[in-house]
Amino acid sequence: MGLTEFGHFALISAFVLSLIQSVVPLIGTARHNMQLMLVGPAAAISAAVACVIAFGALVTSFIRSDFSVALVANHSHSAKPLIYKISGTWGNHEGSLLLWILILVIYGAVLAISGRTMPALLKARILAVQGMITSGFLAFSLFTSNPFTRLANAPIDGKGLNPILQDPGLAIHPPMLYLGYVGLSIAFAFAVAGLIGGDVDRLWAKWMRPWIMAAWCALTLGIALGSWWAYYELGWGGWWFWDPVENASLMPWLAATALLHSAIVVEKRGQLKSWTVLLAILAFSLSLVGTFIVRSGLLTSVHSFASDPARGVFILGILLVAVGIPLLLYAWRGPQLMSVADFNLKSREGALIANNMLLVVATAIVLLGTFYPLGLEMITGARITVGPPYFDATFNPVMGILVVIMVIGPVMAWRRGATPRAKTTLLAASVLAIIAGVIGVALLQDIAIGAVGAIMLIAWLAIGIATDIWTQLKPLQRGGLAARWHRLPTEVLGMWIAHFGIVVFLLGATGDVLFRSEQVVRAKPGEVVTIAGRDVTLVRVFERQGPNFQALTAELEYKDAASGKFIARLMPEKRVYTAERQTTTEAAIRPRLGGDDYAVLGDGDDRIGYSLRLYYKPLISWIWGGGALMAAGGLVAMIGRRRQSAVTAPLPNSVARDTA
Amino acid sequence: MSRFRPTFFIPLIAFLGLAIIGGLALQGTLSGSRNPNQLPSVLIGKPAPDVPLPLLQDSQAELALDAYRGQPLLVNFFASWCAPCRAEAPALEHLSNQISIIGIAYKDRPQDTQKFLQQYGNPFVAIGRDDDGRAGMAWGVYGVPETYLIDPSGQIKWRHAGPLTRDVITSQLMQKLAEMQ
Repeated sequence: MGLTEFGHFALISAFVLSLIQSVVPLIGTARHNMQLMLVGPAAAISAAVACVIAFGALVTSFIRSDFSVALVANHSHSAKPLIYKISGTWGNHEGSLLLWILILVIYGAVLAISGRTMPALLKARILAVQGMITSGFLAFSLFTSNPFTRLANAPIDGKGLNPILQDPGLAIHPPMLYLGYVGLSIAFAFAVAGLIGGDVDRLWAKWMRPWIMAAWCALTLGIALGSWWAYYELGWGGWWFWDPVENASLMPWLAATALLHSAIVVEKRGQLKSWTVLLAILAFSLSLVGTFIVRSGLLTSVHSFASDPARGVFILGILLVAVGIPLLLYAWRGPQLMSVADFNLKSREGALIANNMLLVVATAIVLLGTFYPLGLEMITGARITVGPPYFDATFNPVMGILVVIMVIGPVMAWRRGATPRAKTTLLAASVLAIIAGVIGVALLQDIAIGAVGAIMLIAWLAIGIATDIWTQLKPLQRGGLAARWHRLPTEVLGMWIAHFGIVVFLLGATGDVLFRSEQVVRAKPGEVVTIAGRDVTLVRVFERQGPNFQALTAELEYKDAASGKFIARLMPEKRVYTAERQTTTEAAIRPRLGGDDYAVLGDGDDRIGYSLRLYYKPLISWIWGGGALMAAGGLVAMIGRRRQSAVTAPLPNSVARDTA
Repeated sequence: MSRFRPTFFIPLIAFLGLAIIGGLALQGTLSGSRNPNQLPSVLIGKPAPDVPLPLLQDSQAELALDAYRGQPLLVNFFASWCAPCRAEAPALEHLSNQISIIGIAYKDRPQDTQKFLQQYGNPFVAIGRDDDGRAGMAWGVYGVPETYLIDPSGQIKWRHAGPLTRDVITSQLMQKLAEMQ
């Protein structure tokens, strides 16, 4: 038996195991049979082991360039560097589906191993739901997208991987994004298990929240990586294009952000239970939609989707079952989760509800902007975009209001009213926001209203966070600084970091919009172009041979226009990948905290000159820095929770359970 | 137990509605019953809408479609922020040898439009600025890029939503043009 067949066998075993995992624990919960319930963790761990073997077998085929495997022959090439042979495993539909499944079962196994003190019934139900999702996707893989199909006649060499995907950023971007997408499946499993058992309470939320945070952190990083990749690889100098593929990852992120906040209310106050359940279902549904739209270029070409009827129908079937049944369950059992609101709208709860409403509206805006062109494309086959004007006019204002709430929420008190520090915080933030706005208008001529708004929001949020920190840690109160720091919940620290990440992100985005400069020129070797206080000399253009491509490279010398001091040498390229006969542009970037120099080489020859696109992008790297800070904040909150819950007793379940 | 609430069915009904639409679209595409690339326009056979637009090069002057009467004319809605428009640029450049093309910059900033034209070429005999999308509304554009064929009498004869590909040009546009002559 070859390695490939062994991998295939392991995948089939995983399918059988996850079927067991989805049925047996549920029977156990119905009969209160502990033995049957314990089958769940065992099956989940075994399925994970089987999937690791299957995935390992596929990766090995890619590393060995075993072209008798159809997938390897179609998506790899012997001349490719090792890292891209490995990342080629998930650079295609079948392989990325297997990676998706691998992450899914690993999450399941981690859940099975951890959470020993978790209520047994809840855990059994969650693992069962998790098993159902896994079996659905394993069936999808085995019956329509088998990665282990052999070729009767193995070709001498492979057809290669899309050269645009041969990039370190993209090698880690999909796994990171999948960690986020798939992590939401655990929140989804919590929601469905809660609906089955009717035991959505504070304890339920306490167990679910770390999973939401983990998924949210991974999703945040994944999106930031994708945006960074688009920035340096596509060579357009932009970092977000409102492309359907990007939107597909933004929608689950928005829903997960809402879920992250509403779950706080469930844990702290036992309120918003049915809403949180619905959000968890919505977030995972959107990540399902997101993965499948991106998968195998469904959005870029609807025809590849339609060309394989079995696959398209299967996807629709999975979506129908995975989303439809939980929503049916929600319609039936959801009303039982309702509780009488015991809070005033002017309260922490009220602010978090506002947060949720705004994020859901933002999700709907992105959904509409994404699917209206897709729907049109499905019907007519034509590709159009509604583009940034739509999103600028709708999405940005909604998110602007959200930033306003971000300062108000943390200084409100639970149930009703505000905390004593609210007055100082809100006053300081508003005064400085107005000052920032006035300075912005005074210094920058014909500044757009949106940009003034952005500047004011940045000041508002930055000062809001700073004052909040100050009022909670200032040395006038009793106890030393160290003592107050120690008393401070790590979750609050995480929130500050994540919210400050938004400030950094907004600074980057606004700096880029307000101060970027761009030059599109045709230049011959020896000519000088001036951009943003730099003299750029096109020294020469030459050809060079890469491992699996041929490149036309330009040598650009950057000097300070005033002092003539040497700054940098940038080498943008145009590459032709011989095996794939594809051309890519490799932008040359000199990233600095203050801003990036960005150069792209276009067509031309020595006689008529080469077309060059030069950009200076102030503060642009802050955009991704902000994303990383947000994820770091989530991580701090998550780790802090674990540490704190280890030293304190489990949360008393003071909220009475709704009885059926 | 029997606390039945209709509001809790809203997510399910909304989802089923979307799923049915998706299923129909999928089925239509699969069975080939839908004819791709044909988008109904109520304006076919009607005179081209007359929305005054400032010219890109000179915002004091107005784009006058009437000035091009007596010859077939293409009207192309485009924008610098639209990726398919970049893909379409070579096809337009090629077409501009055979027919006059009017460009309408849809919801774009003039300086961005200028840059776009510098970069991807300018196949247009004149360019109108539809900054707020009012002309787009009158023409009934679905999005950009979108192209209309106007006959010598000023009537809309054909429209295409999405980028003009070689296939669309040879199988549809050239036929319509031949019918006119």
